[in-house]
Amino acid sequence: MTISHSHVILDACCLINLAASGHLLAILRSIPGQVVVTQVVKEEELKTLQILEDVENEAAIQFEQAITQGLLIIVDFESDAEAELFVNYAALLDDGESATCAIALHRGWAIATDDKKAIGLMKREASHLQMFSTLQIIKHWSEKTALDASALRETLNAIRFKGRYLPPKSDPLRVWWEQSLAD
Amino acid sequence: MTNNVLDNIDMRGLGEMLQQARTQCGMTQADAAKVIEAARTTMVAIEKGERRLKATELIKLARAYGRSVSDFVRPRPVIEPFEVQFRAAYRGHEVEREQIEPVIRRLEELCQYYLELEEIMHSPLPRNYPRDYEVSGMPIERTAEAIAVEERQRLGLGDGPIPMLRDILEQSVGLRIFYLKMPGKYSELYSYNEQLGGCMAINANHPEERRRWSLAHGYLHFLAHRRKAVLDLVEGQYKRMPESERLAEAFPKYFLMPTSGLLKRFNDMCRVNENEKFTPANLFTLAHYYGVSVEALAYRLEEMELLRSGTWERLRDRGLKVRKVQQELGLEQIPQRSDMAPIHYQHLAIEALDQGLITEGRFAEFLDVDRLEARRISELLRNYSSGMVDESTHVDLRPLQD
Repeated sequence: MTISHSHVILDACCLINLAASGHLLAILRSIPGQVVVTQVVKEEELKTLQILEDVENEAAIQFEQAITQGLLIIVDFESDAEAELFVNYAALLDDGESATCAIALHRGWAIATDDKKAIGLMKREASHLQMFSTLQIIKHWSEKTALDASALRETLNAIRFKGRYLPPKSDPLRVWWEQSLAD
Repeated sequence: MTNNVLDNIDMRGLGEMLQQARTQCGMTQADAAKVIEAARTTMVAIEKGERRLKATELIKLARAYGRSVSDFVRPRPVIEPFEVQFRAAYRGHEVEREQIEPVIRRLEELCQYYLELEEIMHSPLPRNYPRDYEVSGMPIERTAEAIAVEERQRLGLGDGPIPMLRDILEQSVGLRIFYLKMPGKYSELYSYNEQLGGCMAINANHPEERRRWSLAHGYLHFLAHRRKAVLDLVEGQYKRMPESERLAEAFPKYFLMPTSGLLKRFNDMCRVNENEKFTPANLFTLAHYYGVSVEALAYRLEEMELLRSGTWERLRDRGLKVRKVQQELGLEQIPQRSDMAPIHYQHLAIEALDQGLITEGRFAEFLDVDRLEARRISELLRNYSSGMVDESTHVDLRPLQD
């Protein structure tokens, strides 16, 4: 996974998936760029992370640790132009995705999202920006760390069941996901 | 995207929404002005739609009001507020406004979401509305039964039980029915306007037998008092029950337990018993069959003079434990769909999500759940609606027309 931007901004669905994997810190370390989450997503989704089916609330703890360790930085609108763009996108998307897309576009950052509507909008509005999916990030992490098949299966299962995420059939890595779960 | 939303938005409408949101969270105009570091007069002008709002100001206000920016700027159908229509009704009943107003607002918001989904999907809820029934000055019991018989005929229900009453009223009539949690003494809210048609909220905290009764009760309001919004209380909460309420309360027994079918089944049950008895076990089984409470059935049979008057009181005085007996008889829960949102609404939402017309976050908002629960529901809905792969769900299965 080569990133041609300085930062990668995670939207809510991707953040939940990575947190559900149980390996948020390790995955963030493997991404070749500074990973960012908007203040809007943080506020909206911290509660979701806290109710991930995890007795010790590991997902929310790892999220806070990632911020403390600088693996994840929280950003908010820095200019009127960003705020204007956010409001424009909020007419089309929800607040979390709008903030992510507005800041990414304005600052020229890559986006990590699995949201079909946000992907469609960004393809139209900012096709020059790189877009990544949960599966691309997980695949990259597993290859970079030479993760064994059973650990990968466990990770994907955690995303599937704790994160309740199932990649759409149209996802180019869906076959990889299915094979990795079957191995 | 070159057009700026705030340059093109209806400022007056936005001002009204901001004012509503501010008052709902108990802030004054002066409090709100402080949030955007402006004078109170500026806030007044914003709420009147006389001053263009800056994006940064809208963001600050939305955060202070605990609302999303999207709520204020996305194109949404405007609906007539329900509160105005309900106010007279529930003030008249002297019940506490604070308890029920949030429920009314919620129903209003959900109905607005419903229209929004219909517009996104170009799929309005089909209506199969009958004429308004004329009821003024008519005898209550006979009128209730006559309407029940006519409606059963119109909907092709015969004289048997109606197991999926909610689905029939939603899909065969075109009513918007939500199950919302309300304090125990409220059973149902009904409202109507030309844009939305008939809308109902049923108390989700009540047992299914009670909810079915409330559905039928609300349906009578739709049939006979269509344009009058109603907040219904559980029987016994009224100081003096108005005539329209008495008609609505008489209707469910005829609609849910039609005379001809009930008489036949009662006789069938007696015939197979020794000495042609009708036992308490028969009473429980028949109530379960019709999806009504044992009490409602007992009273109905008493009125039909098939049981001796006072039968229910005698059973109750002997310490009858309804749930225990139902368990002993192996009578399972009545089949039901107790989801908050109507089935058409849920299908529109999942289709919109799968087609990339709404985000996952908006889907969660429409179903009033967090994203994880939204993912669980979306998977269930996909399995429930077709069980097919994404690409084939929009195939037209009808035969080709020449």
